[in-house]
Amino acid sequence: MKAKADLRKEKKEKEFEPVEKGKKTFGQYVLGFFLLLYTLFCALPVLLVFIVAFTSEQAIQKNGFSFFPEEFSMNGMNSVLKYGTQLITSYGVTIFVVVVGTFLGLLTMSMYAYAISRPGFRLAKFLSIYLLIPMLFNGGQLAGYIVFTGYYHLKNSLLLLILPMCVTTMNVIILRTYIANSIPAELLEAAKIDGANEYKTFFGICLPLMKPSLAAVGFMMATAYWNDWQNAVLYIDKNAKKPLQLLLYNIQKNIDFLLNNNNVPQAVRDAMGGQIPKYSATMATVIVVIGPIMVAYPFFQKYFVKGLTVGSVKG
Amino acid sequence: MADKKAVVIKKKKESLWANTRKHVPYVIFALPAFLILFFIMYVPMGGIVMAFQDFKPFDGFFHSKFVGFDNFAFLFKSKSIFFRMTKNTLIYYVIFTGVGTFLNVVLAIALDQFVFKKAGRVMQTMMIVPIFISYAAVQFIVYAFIASDNGLINRVLGTSISFYSEAKYWPVIVTLTKIWNSVGYGSVLYMSVLAGIDTALYEAAQIDGANKWQQIWHITLPSLVPMITVMLLLSVGNIMRSDTGLFYQVTRNSGALYEWTQVIDSYVLDAILTNPNYGFTAAASLFQSTVGLVMMLIANATVKKISPENSLF
Repeated sequence: MKAKADLRKEKKEKEFEPVEKGKKTFGQYVLGFFLLLYTLFCALPVLLVFIVAFTSEQAIQKNGFSFFPEEFSMNGMNSVLKYGTQLITSYGVTIFVVVVGTFLGLLTMSMYAYAISRPGFRLAKFLSIYLLIPMLFNGGQLAGYIVFTGYYHLKNSLLLLILPMCVTTMNVIILRTYIANSIPAELLEAAKIDGANEYKTFFGICLPLMKPSLAAVGFMMATAYWNDWQNAVLYIDKNAKKPLQLLLYNIQKNIDFLLNNNNVPQAVRDAMGGQIPKYSATMATVIVVIGPIMVAYPFFQKYFVKGLTVGSVKG
Repeated sequence: MADKKAVVIKKKKESLWANTRKHVPYVIFALPAFLILFFIMYVPMGGIVMAFQDFKPFDGFFHSKFVGFDNFAFLFKSKSIFFRMTKNTLIYYVIFTGVGTFLNVVLAIALDQFVFKKAGRVMQTMMIVPIFISYAAVQFIVYAFIASDNGLINRVLGTSISFYSEAKYWPVIVTLTKIWNSVGYGSVLYMSVLAGIDTALYEAAQIDGANKWQQIWHITLPSLVPMITVMLLLSVGNIMRSDTGLFYQVTRNSGALYEWTQVIDSYVLDAILTNPNYGFTAAASLFQSTVGLVMMLIANATVKKISPENSLF
């Protein structure tokens, strides 16, 4: 009887192996072709940035933006480097905000997530609702702007680049879910029985075990901080505190200004000095701003894929 | 008498105060995030009073004159602005959600079916890249394609369409930009569902003689339906919100395009940066938040019914 079953299984395998998922049929090549088309749709615009950044300004004026420029040039990159101090300052600001914001956010959010996931802690229910309300309802950008600048007097403070994106409901939910599903309650109990106090239990045992979810949330936070331009546009106008994204925004404003005012006197153009945006220089700046993320992202891909999946399941 | 009562309660359940005293460390853990939420999210909620005031920054929330529902009357009367931005917000929500979900699913299935796994992974990595480019940078990329003098499209076609002053092209431009930006990323979630399908199902279908299309139709798609439903429902809560960067940065906030590009979020941002009509803007924000709240509650209740484990609360 058993042998018969085995035989049948064997036969099944033999018979159906050829039509398994892995066969390289003609259809697969067609599918590959379409996937390649979509990949090009995604990648070519980014490639264009790189090409334009190394195209000579004359070639752009003559032929427009092109994938096949007549003449290459390093002028764009060179003039970006001439921004010099401002670029370095902005890099510093952005990196500071990314590091401090991500670290502060992960720490405060995982502590909050730990607290509201403790059984027997009756305030947890209130804290959960307190966490949810901001996702459901908020005062709006204008109210935030007036409160932050008019009442807290934080205009031009880096706190306004950090705090508004620091604690988000969704991220706390992701971390709480992870604690509830992936960290055995017995382990935390055992630590307590062994005499560890609450702080030791959390920082010594729980937090290290949360690494996968911290990496996922941390990467998503870091990109959000890196790419944030809106808070900077609203709250920052001092050069010493301008993050990279605001630099891009200002370049665009300058281009607009020059485009819309054809009769800007030469003196004014001269006064703007190095600020007069050339297309190749602009694209070179774009590269400088998006570059680090492009380089870092493939290494973190697995984490944020995990983060998405963790986030889709609620405990 | 009072003491006796307290004892009785304690027997049933310790008081909230006693419970909290016992768990002081948890309170300390929760405190930093609690305070950040309080000062960043809760205090500005008080700002909704502006919607009912003739708000003057100098007078602040406490001394500005209350005008009842005047701002809302003004809002609903101002057909051109209010209806335009609400219309655009809703239209783009529908387009982005519809087209976006469709493409997310198609792309996820395509990548899942593709047998050249290594090539598939490389392609997927490249498809996800655009989500990591901020709109402050994206707008330069879009500009390179559609600029009237140097733009790639005009040069290739030999035309000189000035895209930045003709609103009619923008539903297409904005939608393409959004697809470019988010579809690769959006499909990841669906791929993780596909990875979890029991391969025995496919084998059984092959035994029954089902071809690839039949397998996709009868096995792959049905297994995605729960996730699609949940994602759609949850997105309903954001029906009044838009990608501010897409509509403010990519369009260069060009007034000539507002007919097809002004959404509530970009209107509010622009208003703040260019001396707002406070009452009007606050009324628009409150309208946006309230509709969002109602939709979110409805959506969550629906998800709870269909698939409780995916509801948000």
